[in-house]
Amino acid sequence: MTKKIISLILSATVAVSTILTGCSGASGGPSSKASDPNTIVIWHDKEDAVADVLKKQLDTLSPDINIKLEKKTDLTESLKMVGDDPKSAPDMYIFAHDKIGVYAEMGILAPITDIIPKKDLTAYMDKTIEAATYKGEIYQLPIYYETLLFMYNRLYMKDEDVPKTTEELYKYMQSHTSGGHYGFVEQHSTPYYAAGWINGFGGQILDDNGKPHLNSEQVENALSYHKKFVKMMPGETEYSTVNTLFSEGMAHSTIAGPWMVPTVKEKGMDVGVAAMPTINETGTPIAPYMGVQGVQVLKNAAKNKTKAVKKVLEVLMKPEVEVELANASGCAPANESCYDLDDIKNDEVVMMMKQTADNAVPMPNLPEMDVMWTVLGDLLTDVNMSGEDIKTSADKAQQKAESLIKSMQ
Amino acid sequence: MNSKNRKQTLQCYAWAAPSLILIAVIVIFPILYTGYISFTNMNVYHWNNYSFIGLKNYKDALFVFDSGFLKSLFWTIAWTVVSMALQLVIAFLLASLLNMKGLKLKNVYKTLLIFPWAMPGYVSILLWKTGMFNSQFGLLNQWIGKLGFAPIRWLNTDTGAFWWCTIVNLWLALPFMITIIDGALQSVEKSFYESALLDGANWFERTFYITIPMIKPIIGPSVVITVFTTFKQFDVVYLLTRQVGAKTGADFSTIMTYAYENAFITNNYGYSSAVSIIIFVLLLIFSLVINRNTSRAGK
Amino acid sequence: MSMTRKTKTVLGLTLANILLIVLCFITLVPILYALSVSFNADNSLLSADFSFIPKHFTFRNYRAVFVDEPIMLWFKNSIILAVVTLVISLGTGIPAAYVFSRKKFPGRKPILRMLILLYAFPSLLSMTALYKLMRPMGLINTKPGLIIVYTGTEAVFALWNMKGYFDTIPYEIEEAAMIDGASPIQIVWRIVMPLAKPTIAVTAMMVLIYVWNEYIFAVNFMTGSDTYTLAAGLYSLQANEMQGNWPIFAAASIVISIPILIVFFALQKNMTTGLTSGGVKG
Repeated sequence: MTKKIISLILSATVAVSTILTGCSGASGGPSSKASDPNTIVIWHDKEDAVADVLKKQLDTLSPDINIKLEKKTDLTESLKMVGDDPKSAPDMYIFAHDKIGVYAEMGILAPITDIIPKKDLTAYMDKTIEAATYKGEIYQLPIYYETLLFMYNRLYMKDEDVPKTTEELYKYMQSHTSGGHYGFVEQHSTPYYAAGWINGFGGQILDDNGKPHLNSEQVENALSYHKKFVKMMPGETEYSTVNTLFSEGMAHSTIAGPWMVPTVKEKGMDVGVAAMPTINETGTPIAPYMGVQGVQVLKNAAKNKTKAVKKVLEVLMKPEVEVELANASGCAPANESCYDLDDIKNDEVVMMMKQTADNAVPMPNLPEMDVMWTVLGDLLTDVNMSGEDIKTSADKAQQKAESLIKSMQ
Repeated sequence: MNSKNRKQTLQCYAWAAPSLILIAVIVIFPILYTGYISFTNMNVYHWNNYSFIGLKNYKDALFVFDSGFLKSLFWTIAWTVVSMALQLVIAFLLASLLNMKGLKLKNVYKTLLIFPWAMPGYVSILLWKTGMFNSQFGLLNQWIGKLGFAPIRWLNTDTGAFWWCTIVNLWLALPFMITIIDGALQSVEKSFYESALLDGANWFERTFYITIPMIKPIIGPSVVITVFTTFKQFDVVYLLTRQVGAKTGADFSTIMTYAYENAFITNNYGYSSAVSIIIFVLLLIFSLVINRNTSRAGK
Repeated sequence: MSMTRKTKTVLGLTLANILLIVLCFITLVPILYALSVSFNADNSLLSADFSFIPKHFTFRNYRAVFVDEPIMLWFKNSIILAVVTLVISLGTGIPAAYVFSRKKFPGRKPILRMLILLYAFPSLLSMTALYKLMRPMGLINTKPGLIIVYTGTEAVFALWNMKGYFDTIPYEIEEAAMIDGASPIQIVWRIVMPLAKPTIAVTAMMVLIYVWNEYIFAVNFMTGSDTYTLAAGLYSLQANEMQGNWPIFAAASIVISIPILIVFFALQKNMTTGLTSGGVKG
């Protein structure tokens, strides 16, 4: 009896797996392609316009090298899991620079200077190389960078009305915020956006040694100054609300990412970009974080597919690629020489990003930053939305950040 | 033990083996593995070269169990009790309504009512968050705006967040409960009702003396499983109120969101494993208490 | 007398229908919202003046779902995973539930109790552990790997849920069959299964919905969008909010829930023919 049942189960399993193997043939490739030294798998999370340009450029390497550009959801989490497994991990990935610390510490990244000579990197803007450097090693080949931009709807805000200083902005908000219209909106309690104000006050969220400084005088001043602006903005702080307010013409101006520009232009909006207002208290402009998008090489690929990886990097170092990306999707080239070209010079958005980048602060790339986003988010929510005391909240956040960073070890 | 008994036992295990093996691999193994990792220093700095560090993670983890943790534990218990009570009562009433004699469109209603079940959770939560609750554009505020009231921020107070999360959770969970109770109601002998009607029993009497005792053993297991699912619920609370970059200002967290924000984000796998094991033990204690109360009913 | 009773029934049914229509509407509000957004030619999920009937009607978003996204491929992947998982879940779950309900054997009670307790483990951590287990077995990036994860995850539920229902089926019918010389497999197949149809249908539905809507394992254990399931594909559509296309996302959400609703509608017949009919009474 028992035997009969077991054999029944076994035959069922065999039947099932036969069905399966019949069907999974189409997708069962990764393990075979991974071992081929001329196939390079690149993960990315970019919009189609960017991916298309990259694909077109990288395909020039075929038939010698076969590039598989795969858009990956939850790229950062997946890399943590598969990073050291050559069978499932990509050979390279394209992402912002702020995760290189985590992966470098995990031991899954190879410095790109292992493959290309360091002197070839002198063409890049200093800030992008600074962003790509973790503990003295360069882990990312920069391609383009992003900063937030001050944007305004010309239907409401004339070019000459664009506020030069934060006090002018405040006055504009006072006279134009009413009846469902807002003079200015931003994701005020989202860390990435609020960081611009904190940096503008000379505050530092995380220093180069991985120490948080959330209860410093500068951060507290920034929070209390920023709060008067927050009072005249909607309570929601998330992406879709703020952007819809602007793109539906209910907010006159905003601070948002360059990726907003195509969306609103498509809607027929006459949108202008301007320099960040200068903070009256400190005399420095709002200084947003800068995110450098570039390519990282995984250790396994650097070791086993050196030649192919090198060729891919060489393609991505060509200034033409960056220019084409700028034309396709408004990406600001990381290569300094691109800014001498007319194509770039005439691109209002890219040039404004370049200008903003002078004050921008590269996002910290230390592993400690991972917990700071949550803690700073809590601090901003406490101060801006729950109306709690700034000093107390900042002290609490600082303590929380210290203890979380301690528990990372 | 005689050979006949032994043979029978073996036979039983052979029948159950495929299922038990799957459970061992997918359910039990991760728990053992987590237990193992909780004694190591597997973190960003020792991802592949981790080593045993004894009870250090547990010592550190105890710091997590501060007043914030106790508060979220209290919230979690309130959340589970309220959600379960509402779920059972509403699902029971709806299922009874659906089982009314002569209701022709029953299958259509049921199919419409289970719609929330047919979508991935993150989709429906997103729909609620941006479509319903958003204070600028959400439907709720558009409706109350038409009635002449000022817009409300639905999710920014502790109790507001608690109740709206409960409602969304209810919306997500009711289809399953309705289906289970509806199925159970079908199996109740109709002749019991007939004799009860002859005795002049009213609806409440019939419900409490016939229906509930009859369906209890059938729905028991599903209810117990739903209690755990509710207790462990993460998505609803996190996505509605606590997502980084979209926090609402409410201070409502369950032990799962608390553990996430205080342990999982550190990328310290050893440490968060210790936190998980401690939560697991707490849940075991919690479920033993439930078990004592339901064991009589569920057998 | 009979007249008033009839009027009362009609009145009661009318009230019940009205109540159910209202309840269905309330339940469906967020979904009608998605539906309206998906048909709306003005490209936005959020809008200051929303109406359930779009002012400018369009099929563009649905066309985009079918043309721009490899949705038929995802659909095929979902179907394969769902069907195989369903077959294995029921194939392993029914015999296990049957012996746990019918036979007394050493270890039965402790195992049952333990299983339900294990269900309490926070699932957030299971993923990495499973990854570490399946990687050496070469199951990452394969459908069989995902199927094992899905069946295992649903196994506790399947066992418990069906065992609970089997408990309510009177044993006497089986005893009679046993005297007639039927083998255990015949008994399960010919007698228990037909009587247990409702619980099997509910369990099948539950497994199906789980596989259909699961995305975390699907996104992390499979690489490349050609191996995605519908839920994983949809997740990747909305994950990148910088380019998130809400109307297409809304259209896709509606599209992927339709098959579940059709299956549910079809399965309902089986959920309703329960014990009260046929042999039990006799």
